[in-house]
Amino acid sequence: MRAVTWTGINQLSVEDVPEPQLLNDHDVILKVTRTTTCGSDLHLLSGYIPFMRAGDVIGHEFMGEVVEVGKGVRDRRVGDRVVVASFVSCGACWYCHHELYSLCDNSNPNPGITEGLWGQAIGGCLGYSHAVGGYAGSHAEYMRVPFADVGSFVVPDGVPDDRALFASDAASTAFTGVDLAGVQPGDTVAVWGAGAVGQMAARLSSIVGAERVFVVDRFPERLAQARTHAGAETIDYTTTDVAAELREHTGGRGPDVCIEAVGMEAHSPGPQGAYDAVKQQLRLQTDRPSAVREAIMACRKGGSVFTLGVFAAMVDKFPLGAVMNKGLTLRGAQVHGPRYIPRLLELMDRGELVTEHLATHVLPLEEAPRGYELFKEKADGCVRAVFTPHG
Amino acid sequence: MANSLLSRAADAGGALLGRLQSVRLPGVGTASAKDDPATAARRWRAVTVLADPGRLTELPAPLAALGDRVETRVIPAPGDKGTELAARYRGPATDEDIGRLRQALREAKQLVEVGEVLRMDPRPHGERAQTPGGRLLDGAVAASRREGVL
Repeated sequence: MRAVTWTGINQLSVEDVPEPQLLNDHDVILKVTRTTTCGSDLHLLSGYIPFMRAGDVIGHEFMGEVVEVGKGVRDRRVGDRVVVASFVSCGACWYCHHELYSLCDNSNPNPGITEGLWGQAIGGCLGYSHAVGGYAGSHAEYMRVPFADVGSFVVPDGVPDDRALFASDAASTAFTGVDLAGVQPGDTVAVWGAGAVGQMAARLSSIVGAERVFVVDRFPERLAQARTHAGAETIDYTTTDVAAELREHTGGRGPDVCIEAVGMEAHSPGPQGAYDAVKQQLRLQTDRPSAVREAIMACRKGGSVFTLGVFAAMVDKFPLGAVMNKGLTLRGAQVHGPRYIPRLLELMDRGELVTEHLATHVLPLEEAPRGYELFKEKADGCVRAVFTPHG
Repeated sequence: MANSLLSRAADAGGALLGRLQSVRLPGVGTASAKDDPATAARRWRAVTVLADPGRLTELPAPLAALGDRVETRVIPAPGDKGTELAARYRGPATDEDIGRLRQALREAKQLVEVGEVLRMDPRPHGERAQTPGGRLLDGAVAASRREGVL
């Protein structure tokens, strides 16, 4: 079959690879119908997550049709149209029982790597490096989905593919942040990053009752989408002082909840951005945390800051004093997909959550390298490149 | 010569992952003292299994396979967390022995909780360039089931 492989830093290829097989009783094989780029893939591409092997198939946000079912699978059938959670969860460990699915004890076959990095291993993630399992990814014609009863969800007939696709990771990641950050009715929420996850975090904040939502970015077309599709007020951080804007709009308090949806390659104008870039290139810090710093400083006293963007390891000049002295709650998580995907599909079915506008570039799989180039450079208004492996 | 270099790179990858568990850089990791190797080898290594202690009356096969060299302890975990399954060697143990114990404990937990051990190969992949960096990663990945803080 054809698949998109990582072949080196900033190098992708589309090549022939063997088809996946059922390996465990709880597996299904999926015919992939839609699979999309994710901002976190760019960290793999850029070489900031050094556990990629040449030839690895990438991609973790996808949907498709079940074509083969393992003998231990109870709820999936051949022919089901499903969307799949990006993280793999066994459904049987203490973490899965407590809906902390991305922390699954049994789904990362390479626990030694992340135990060394973080003190504990997290769950496995499809198509996202050997640090989280080394699973083959979804940018392929076919895909093995382990523990399919836990991580795959039948899409209601009324939800089109280009909407359901984003329940897989972008919208479920956003819901993880909105829920665990504790967004309440009446809150003011600020979201850093107007990519798909940031836009979904803004929209879902409104759905759970936030009174005002601000989205911070620098790309006009993304900010326009946040206004149009998420109903957010927007701030271009390259033209104004974000914290001052937020104070001005919140009676001097600052937002109740600040959600960071940028991650380890944050851009920042001025000397702070240059400082972070140099230190990251010299590997004196692994991540550029400028959006997190700003969120912490902007948040109201006693408020909540949530890191949704992907970070790898160590950052420098972290305002821990502000976290402590302002009484902030600082929390982060990878996506707990199965906790939120069913509710997202309901919202999508009722038309309360639309995502089709995110798929700015729909391309055949063979054009994936060009799709990633557009996505990485934010060229031609690209928000997400979506690939259709079967046309 | 090239094959030898690649082989050494893979070995180095496994060794590097082992060392990562005990690295102490300024600002990284813990502030505490580090176990000497003999003390580390004698520590109980434990997983918490979401099951009643009765499910572990008979040791799961991966742990039972280590035989009398290993002693085990099964006690209820606090709260709703299930059962703590711990094991350690009765006598001196090498790094390789400890790696086998880590893997056995992880597989035992998987067998009780989900009924099978996750399999990964064969998996689809494209051409694997045989570079020292790639083989270093291969070595680390191959060692990762037996390494970690467990």
